Amino acid sequence: MSDAIGTMADSTVPPDGQAHRAHPGAAVYVIVAVFLAALTAMELTVFYVSALKTVLVPVLLVLAAAKFALVAMFYMHLRYDSWLLSGVLLFPLIIATVLLISLLFLFAYLAQHIG
Amino acid sequence: MAAQPKPVRTESASYLGGGGLLGWLTTVDHKRVAVLYGASALVFMVIGGIEAMLIRMQLWSPGSTFLSAEVYNQIFTMHGTTMVFLVVMPLELGAFANFLVPLHVGARDVAFPRINALSYWLFTMGAIFLHLGWLWGGLPNAGWFGYANLTERYFSPGLNIDYWVVGLLLLGVSTVLGGLNFFVTIVMMRARGMTYMRMPMFVWAILITSVLILIAFPPLTVGLVFLLMDRFFGTHFYIAAYGATPILWQHLFWLFGHPEVYIMALPAFGMISEMVPVFARKPLFGYPMMAYSLALIAFLSYGVWGHHMFATGMGPVADSAFAITSMLIAIPTGVKVFSWIATVWGGSLRMTTAFYFALGMILEFTIGGLSGIMHATAPVDLQQTDSYFVVAHFHYVLFGGVMFAIMGAIYYWWPKMTGRMLDERLGKLQFWLTVIGFNATFFPMHFLGLWGMPRRIYTYGAGLGWTDLNRLETVAAFILGLAFLVLYINLVRSAAAGSEAPADPWDGRTLEWSTASPPPAYNFARLVQVRGRDAFWVEKYGAAGSRGGPMLAAAQPPGGEQAAEAIHMPAPSIFPLTIALGAGVMGTGLIVGWWRLIAIGAGVMILGIIGLGFEYPSWGEEGHDGEPAPGGGTDLRKVGVWAFLGSECVFFASLISTYIVYKSRNAGGPGASILEIPLTSFSTFVLLMSSLLMVLALAATQRGDRLWERIWLLGVAVFGLIFLGGQAYEFTHFYHEGLALQTDLFGQSFYTLVGFHGAHVAVGVLWLLVLAAAAFMGRLGKSRALSVELAGLYWHFVDVVWIVIFTLVYLMQQVKVA
Repeated sequence: MSDAIGTMADSTVPPDGQAHRAHPGAAVYVIVAVFLAALTAMELTVFYVSALKTVLVPVLLVLAAAKFALVAMFYMHLRYDSWLLSGVLLFPLIIATVLLISLLFLFAYLAQHIG
Repeated sequence: MAAQPKPVRTESASYLGGGGLLGWLTTVDHKRVAVLYGASALVFMVIGGIEAMLIRMQLWSPGSTFLSAEVYNQIFTMHGTTMVFLVVMPLELGAFANFLVPLHVGARDVAFPRINALSYWLFTMGAIFLHLGWLWGGLPNAGWFGYANLTERYFSPGLNIDYWVVGLLLLGVSTVLGGLNFFVTIVMMRARGMTYMRMPMFVWAILITSVLILIAFPPLTVGLVFLLMDRFFGTHFYIAAYGATPILWQHLFWLFGHPEVYIMALPAFGMISEMVPVFARKPLFGYPMMAYSLALIAFLSYGVWGHHMFATGMGPVADSAFAITSMLIAIPTGVKVFSWIATVWGGSLRMTTAFYFALGMILEFTIGGLSGIMHATAPVDLQQTDSYFVVAHFHYVLFGGVMFAIMGAIYYWWPKMTGRMLDERLGKLQFWLTVIGFNATFFPMHFLGLWGMPRRIYTYGAGLGWTDLNRLETVAAFILGLAFLVLYINLVRSAAAGSEAPADPWDGRTLEWSTASPPPAYNFARLVQVRGRDAFWVEKYGAAGSRGGPMLAAAQPPGGEQAAEAIHMPAPSIFPLTIALGAGVMGTGLIVGWWRLIAIGAGVMILGIIGLGFEYPSWGEEGHDGEPAPGGGTDLRKVGVWAFLGSECVFFASLISTYIVYKSRNAGGPGASILEIPLTSFSTFVLLMSSLLMVLALAATQRGDRLWERIWLLGVAVFGLIFLGGQAYEFTHFYHEGLALQTDLFGQSFYTLVGFHGAHVAVGVLWLLVLAAAAFMGRLGKSRALSVELAGLYWHFVDVVWIVIFTLVYLMQQVKVA
């Protein structure tokens, strides 16, 4: 039987499912850095230009999300590594976001109705 | 420094033998660590049990003076804390999961053996802190939930809560490290052929529990950090007089506390799911649904914390949402109960003690589950809150559900762990004493609660009509105590002179039964190839659905065959114990207010961590001979770092939430308008560019370019130092402008959030400097690119957290939310 155990496997699935791709070169890293700097400059523009105050929150959130995604995808190599690693970050990230929004709503209600 | 680990000859016998005391103090073998956890938990179970007896003796008669109110507070606080953190969790996760997960998945150890040992020693240190009050200063006294602001220095001026905070922080770190270890072990180290849908249900339960640990413990850690700062550094995170809200603690605690119920319950579900099929001689009914149910329970468990807080006035929308999620969680839980019943149905039952406890668990847990659904209904819950009805409910869940499962698991796996059988007659005696004692203790509490008896009171009036049932409960509690005495007698008798256990005493279905009892240090001489669900059963009888019978062949079980060659196993290490001792010294220094002691403890910890990091030439956890290569070329350590970063997301979300809630509560202070955008923009730019240098350093290391590897690594560290310098300047400037840590809620939440980020940057800089030093000594290079990649992941995470902080704290400084 031990021989059978050694040879008759019907599956040899690698534990985390898929292989990763090669990391990008320096040129891509520099381009990402330029984008990050540009996005930061856009954030500052939105902050200082009073005509944009009405859209301050959504625009800043989108810009921050874009910067976050650029660093995570290119510098942390999630774009090139196994999907497992993306899942390991994304699931708690979603939980963290929901937690943050939930707490803000709960405390906003508390502040309005109870003080 | 230890040299390369010595190979273990496959002729070596049980993992229990050899090494002496030093061997146990420095062990990294998952089975020995499991024994350490198990032995510790059994000691604490005696302490927690005696505390329960004291509670019941006090409540024997109305107006009792057996215990004072203060001592009663300490005893019931320690009973809850001990049972949750020092008995149930260490038994389920520390002992059983540690022992079984590598055996179940066909591995030779956990992913990070030395971190596993560190988890145990941190657990021990935390447990010691929780119990120091017996000797000096009094035990913790604000309940296991530690509601603010009972825990504040003003209301609890002694050392009681100081011990509790430090102890729980250490236990939290220990648990998160353990969860991380199990997660990586299960995801990355399963034997060839063991797909997710072939894993034993216990492994599924531990996998899901690990995820829960990683996302549930950070809010508790943040809550404890706030409490620690209130008690030691003069902040006011939970004091209403300063504009704060004690409700913040309740949210942070129950964000941990309800998932914690499932952190305790899911492993119990896994244990039952292993025992029932073995003793019914049938495959687990509805395996896929059982696995999905575990995942759904865990997911929903993170969204039900509010049902502990209906009485705080969260509003109809929040109440409705929490009521719905709390009711929904009954569905996957019901699936599990019906699956167990369906597995038993029509089976060839063998009525062993383990099976008795498994059946008992299904019944008792169902009763607890039904009263739990009652709590999900907000109007009903308001009547039951803080009454003995709640005490009845959670004991039916945690004793009837979890403890029954643990008792069954002890009878089921003790022979594998020790090589000795337990006495079945004593076991059945214990079972019936437990059933009688448990139900007679806790079922009447439903009535007492509905009759209005509040929980946590140290005495009650004679004319309230509660005396008779309280007396019944006290008598029954002693019957329950007798049941535990029988268990301990059985354990001691077995250890001393129990009959020898065969490798497979129950005709088991999973891989641990394929190796010797007790297993050898290396678990399996040959690495396992799995051909189906119920892997060992398939090898014995050909198909998972077979009801047994003669084995197909009397050949070697999978992995049990003696290999000719030696096997390399992780070598013992003194550093886990060293780090834990350093943490203990730090905690002691904090409590006694001796800062030099904190510095000494921190120094010992840092040296221990560096020692751990450089103990082996491979600079990381040792590989285990012949382990299957991690899938997709992904390294174990990389998955571990990512899991840690995932947990950190929730940690920072808790800090950021608090900042946003408190930022406009700036009584007397300058408030958010003090924040300077030009300076912080420069710091942000520096940090973003440091990330560019970090990836360039990694690229240089990967291509073997030693010159640029050194330059970029030093560059990142210098950029990090510039960032920290900017933060130091900012903090100093704010202080001179009148914004101290204690000034107002804005100040304390700002300094805590940004300060924690800065501490992360400082750790990153230290890590990078160590790597740069290694690079200059010529000890880095292409073969160790992973070391740079791991540091890089951490550094980039620090960067993305700052992206969020820069936006939410600095750029949105005028936006008010709560």
